[in-house]
Amino acid sequence: MPDRTYHSAAMGHATQRPAPARRVSRRHARKLGDEYVFKYLMLSPAVLWVVALTFFPLFEVIRYSFANYVLGQGITGYVGFSNYSDVLSSARFWNSILITVIYVLLTVPIEVVLGFLFAWLVNLHAPGTKFFRMLITAPLFTMEVAIGYLGITLFSAQGGLVTALLGLFGISIPWLSTAAWGLTAAMILEVWRWTPFVFLLALAALASIPEEIYDAAVIDCETHWQVMRHVAVPLAWPVMTIVILFRLVEGFKAFGLPYALTSGGPGTSTQLFSILDYLTTLEFFDFGKGSAMSIIVLIMISVVLALFFGQMRKRIG
Amino acid sequence: MRSVLWLRARARSRVLVYILLAASALWVLVPMVWAVLNSIKTLEDTFRAGAVVPFLQFAPTLSSWRTVLMDPGVVHALLSSFVVSSGTTLLVLAVSLPAAYSLARFDFFVSSRDLTLWFLSQRVLPPAVMLVPFYMMMVRFRLIDTWTGLIISYSTFSLAFGVVIMRDVFRDVSKEIEEAAKVEGATPWQIFLWIALPLSLDGIVVTAINVFAFGWNEALFSSAFTSLNAQTFASFILASRGTRDINFNLAAANTLLAIGPPVILSFFFQRYLARGLSLGAIKG
Repeated sequence: MPDRTYHSAAMGHATQRPAPARRVSRRHARKLGDEYVFKYLMLSPAVLWVVALTFFPLFEVIRYSFANYVLGQGITGYVGFSNYSDVLSSARFWNSILITVIYVLLTVPIEVVLGFLFAWLVNLHAPGTKFFRMLITAPLFTMEVAIGYLGITLFSAQGGLVTALLGLFGISIPWLSTAAWGLTAAMILEVWRWTPFVFLLALAALASIPEEIYDAAVIDCETHWQVMRHVAVPLAWPVMTIVILFRLVEGFKAFGLPYALTSGGPGTSTQLFSILDYLTTLEFFDFGKGSAMSIIVLIMISVVLALFFGQMRKRIG
Repeated sequence: MRSVLWLRARARSRVLVYILLAASALWVLVPMVWAVLNSIKTLEDTFRAGAVVPFLQFAPTLSSWRTVLMDPGVVHALLSSFVVSSGTTLLVLAVSLPAAYSLARFDFFVSSRDLTLWFLSQRVLPPAVMLVPFYMMMVRFRLIDTWTGLIISYSTFSLAFGVVIMRDVFRDVSKEIEEAAKVEGATPWQIFLWIALPLSLDGIVVTAINVFAFGWNEALFSSAFTSLNAQTFASFILASRGTRDINFNLAAANTLLAIGPPVILSFFFQRYLARGLSLGAIKG
């Protein structure tokens, strides 16, 4: 509490010399006034920005979701919930939700397990692990679209690396020509792209466990596996829940990687939610339906997040 | 410092650790090496299964790099990406640093923690949800296919991140130093500019890298709002991949150009990354 210290200093001053006290306290008052102006001036641009560019647009999404939008004419009237019922009764929408959920629920646990395992290995600080830490972190900021694009050459039926390697074992998989395998290919690359994120955070969590705890643990535990299960995992768990939360949220936004890899095909089978929303909005300019879709998904996400809210609030401090 | 677990490990476990580490390295490296090799092959060589070792099994060539870098579309898209990501970074820092400092030091009519949580909640929003209103806004203000339009959109999505992570960083700046400056008669503005900012340089760098990488990698809004003038490299790739027959060597060169800048940046600041990524939930 910065002002309190200042205040008590001024008070101490006042008891000794009454005359200048008024001057001090007036200066103090002006300073407090300054501080008041200061804190609001500093904060307001960001708040105004978010209100203007998040709240107002969100309000617009709600408005459009009830509107009949015709390209070139704009909103021609309001149609109640008919956009919503159109979306909710469309198989394409439910397919996109289903595969997005599958996509997230399959990739995030694998990323978490792999990331944690890599972090465990690096945290042993065996000779040379700095090098491995750098390598494992490398995909962290790679462009999703570019990875999807590269993925075409990895999974291509003609000359693709994965196809060729599996061919050595006599396995032939139609990666990019079927929905299930296309989605699998996207998920493999998604795991490749995001494991470093989990890795770095898990590493920070493991590094913050004091070495003494391991000293004690090696006496009680027979194997590394036991130390990991009974000591490291429980101690790192609070951080890992945050990591999982972040990955769930971000995973739901997935767009660039799967879109670049499969362009939503074959047909519409690998259109994750973001891809479908993008196509509905900007290829077909169906703003009403696109908005209704957005609102429905926003409600779904909010419900899921409400479950994590308390945990997050605690960590913010 | 070696972990006690490593020091006490039996030889067999140690070997296993290195085998697993090597596997993890392989997992990361294979696509990257594949991209590097393809980028220095001729189109015919990219389809030859035996062409792995340069000079021995195939003659490396820079022709695909030349093709890509001579393409005015590529160069312009790279320039756009650079301008948009740098502009976004500067704008986000300019708006989020003051707000974060204010939230770190003062309370408001609602607690600073709840205000921060409010900022954090903005991150949950999938950008796809905002396509319609942003599109309409861009049309109204004639910002379709401009750098400014993209910078404004990207800043909106990165702002909350900047505020949350920087608030956490500022909270770690020693209050004693600020108190001392205050007693000397420094105004809050001076304290912010000349004490808090310089002492938080690490955090600012992490924030800047994250925001830059977000702008560099973003594809949804740039595909939606730009076509020729302001097309970033991400949407350039998305647009150019339309045809089914892609040239493996050109694709590889493009990929490396696309992933290069943020990855190289991140290498230099490895130490600080964890904290930024966790929005301060972890002290790096």
